[in-house]
Amino acid sequence: MSEQEDRLVRVFASVFPALKPEQIRAASAETVAEWDSLAAVTLVAVIQQEFGVEIDPLDLPELSSFEALRTHLGLTSDAGPGRDVTTNP
Amino acid sequence: MIEGRNGNARGLLGNSMNLLGALEILKRPISAAAIGRDVFLACGFTPLHLKTFLAAHLRLCFPNDRIEIKTGLYGDLAGNLERVQPSSHSAVCVVVEWADLDPRLGIRALGGWRSADIPGIVESARRQSERLTHLVRQLAENMPVCVSPPTLPLPPLFTTRGGQAHHDECQLREIAASLAASLSACRRVRLLNLQRLDEISPLGRRFDARAEITSGFPYTLEHTSRLAELLAGLIQDSPPKKGLITDLDDTLWAGILGEVGVEGIAWDMAGHAHLHGLYQQFLASLASAGVLLAVASKNDRALGEQALGRSDLLLSKDSLFPLEIHWGPKSESVRRILKEWNIAPDDVVFIDDSPMEVAEVHAAFPEMDCVVFPQGDHQAIWDLLKRLRDGFGKGLVSPEDEIRLGSIRAASTINDGLNEGGLRADDFLRHVEATITFSLGTDAHDQRAFELINKTNQFNLNGRRLSESEWLSFLKDPAAFLLTASYEDKYGLLGKIAVILGKIEGHKLHVRSWVMSCRAFSRRIEQQCLKYLFEKLDAEEIVFDYEATARNGPLQEFFAELLGGPAAPDLSVHKSGFSARVPALFHRVVEDVNV
Repeated sequence: MSEQEDRLVRVFASVFPALKPEQIRAASAETVAEWDSLAAVTLVAVIQQEFGVEIDPLDLPELSSFEALRTHLGLTSDAGPGRDVTTNP
Repeated sequence: MIEGRNGNARGLLGNSMNLLGALEILKRPISAAAIGRDVFLACGFTPLHLKTFLAAHLRLCFPNDRIEIKTGLYGDLAGNLERVQPSSHSAVCVVVEWADLDPRLGIRALGGWRSADIPGIVESARRQSERLTHLVRQLAENMPVCVSPPTLPLPPLFTTRGGQAHHDECQLREIAASLAASLSACRRVRLLNLQRLDEISPLGRRFDARAEITSGFPYTLEHTSRLAELLAGLIQDSPPKKGLITDLDDTLWAGILGEVGVEGIAWDMAGHAHLHGLYQQFLASLASAGVLLAVASKNDRALGEQALGRSDLLLSKDSLFPLEIHWGPKSESVRRILKEWNIAPDDVVFIDDSPMEVAEVHAAFPEMDCVVFPQGDHQAIWDLLKRLRDGFGKGLVSPEDEIRLGSIRAASTINDGLNEGGLRADDFLRHVEATITFSLGTDAHDQRAFELINKTNQFNLNGRRLSESEWLSFLKDPAAFLLTASYEDKYGLLGKIAVILGKIEGHKLHVRSWVMSCRAFSRRIEQQCLKYLFEKLDAEEIVFDYEATARNGPLQEFFAELLGGPAAPDLSVHKSGFSARVPALFHRVVEDVNV
C-alpha cells in the first residue's frame, strides 16, 4: 500500500470514526450509515485539503466509495494524483 | 523561554489547523465523567466545517470537557437566536455575515442588484442589524455571547469600480460597525476583534464561492479555522496574567545607569531610545488596569531609585513594587517579588534585555513566561507589546484592579507588623482599624465576585471554576446565597476580597465555592466570614464542598487549624465547634444594605 493510500485511509478514519480499520477499504455510501450528504461534503473537503486537489462537485455522486475515491485520485502503489484531478496551484 | 521576536500571540505566525487535524482532535478519547460543555453556534449559513473547527479548537481549550456544538436552521440567524434555550448552553457563538443582514448581500439569493435595489438593501440591512442587536442583548442577560461581525468581502453589487467605495457600501459598513459598537458595550458580549482576524486571515482568501453555492458554506477552510480559533478563545476567556517584572538598563530605558548616570539614560527620540518610551507607556497602561509591576535590576540601589524618580519617566515610580535593585542573582529577586505579591510564577512575565539573565530566571521558574527584551528591533517590540496585551488583557477594569498595588503594599506592612519580634498577632490586629463590609444576596451581576471565583487559587475551597451560565443558573435557585466581603484598614483599601457561594437548607448551609484574595491573608477575614454566616443565616452547621488541590495550601491550613486536623471532602463545621476555636476578631462589621 502506498503512502498516498495510507493518507486516504487516515482521512476515512477521521471522517467516519466508527469504522474499524479493516472496514475502511470496503466503505461506501451504501454500507456506512454515517455517509450522508454532510459527511460527503466533509470527506471531499478533507481530501481536497490533504491531497492538494480540486474535485468537481459534479463528480460527487460517483465518488461514493473508498475504492471510487482511490481510483479518482489515481492512487496506485507508486502513483500521485491521477488524470481527473486538478492540482491546486 | 521565548525570544521577543518570536513572541507573537498563539496562531499569529503559526499554521492554521487543517480539517483532518480538526477531525483527529475530535477523535481523541475523553473520560466518561467529563463535564459537558454545550455551545450553541448561531449562524445563517450551513455550519458545516465551522462546527468541526470550533469543536476542535474548543477541545484544545478545554481538553477535559466533552464539547457539544448545537446549531440552528439554515438562512434564519435571527430565528436561531430566538430559539436558543438559555439554560441549555454554556455559551452562544453568533457568526453574522452580510447575507444575514439581507440575503441579497450573499450570492445564493438572486433578488436583484440593480442600482435601484441597493437603497432598499441598505435599509433592510439596517433593520435586521437592529433586530440582531436586540436578540443578542437579550441572550447576554443569561449567558456569555461571543459575536463575530461580518468577515467576508461584500459582493460586487455597487456601481463603482472595485477600487472606489460607493456611498451605499459605506453605509453598510457603518451598519456593521454600529452593530459591533453597540454589542461591545453590552455585558457578557465578547466581540471578535476584526483587526486580529485581518492579521491572521487575509480578506482575499476568506470567501469560497463554490462552497457557498454548492453547499451553503461561504468560508475557505483556512478562514474557517482562523475564525473558529478566535471564537474558541472568546469562549475560553482565559484569566489574564497578573504581574510583570522588568529590568531597568536597556529595557525600561536605554543606557547603563552605572556608566551614563541618571541624566544619561534615555527613552525618547532625541536619545534614539523611543522604543523604551513606548515600553514605559505600555507598562503604565498595564498598571492602570491593575497589573502588578516590579523591578529586578542589577544596579546600585540608590542610583536606581534616583533614576526611577525622574519626573519625565512615563511610568510612575509608585506603580513599581517591590524594587529589587542590587547585585544579587535575578532569580532571587524574582523569588522575593513573587513572595511579596503572593502569586504563582505562571501568572507572571519576566522581561530583561540579557538572554543570560532571562535563562537564569527561566531555569529557576520554568512556568514563568520569560522574555528577552528585543532592544533596537522595532517590529519585535511592536510584536512584544501585542503579545503582552494578549497575556494581560481583560474585558473590564474593576475598582479592585485600581487599588491592587496599594493593597499589596498594605499587606506587606501588615505582614511586617505581624512578624515583628515579640508583638502578638492579637495586639497588632486590634490596632489596624479594620472594617469588613458584608453583602449578602444573589446578585448575579456581581462581576468581581464571579471573577474572584474564577481566578483565585490559594484560598479556594476546591479550585473549581464556574462558567457564566453555571453562575447565573446557581444564583437563580431560591435557596442560593452569595456573600461577598470588602475590607479596609488604616493601611488602605483592599476592596472586595472574599466570596462565598452556597445554598441554605434549613439551619444547614452548603458552600459550593469559597475564595479569598491572597492580599487579604493574615487578617482573620475568613473567620469573620464564617461567623457572619452562622449568625446572619441562623445556621448550626456549614458543609463545605472541599477538595484539596495542588495550590490551595492556605485554605487547607485554615481548615486544619479550625478543625484540629487535616480537612477531608464534604467537611462540615458546627457552630459550637467554630465558636470554641475561633480566635479573637477585631473587625468592625458593616452590612451593605443596598443589596
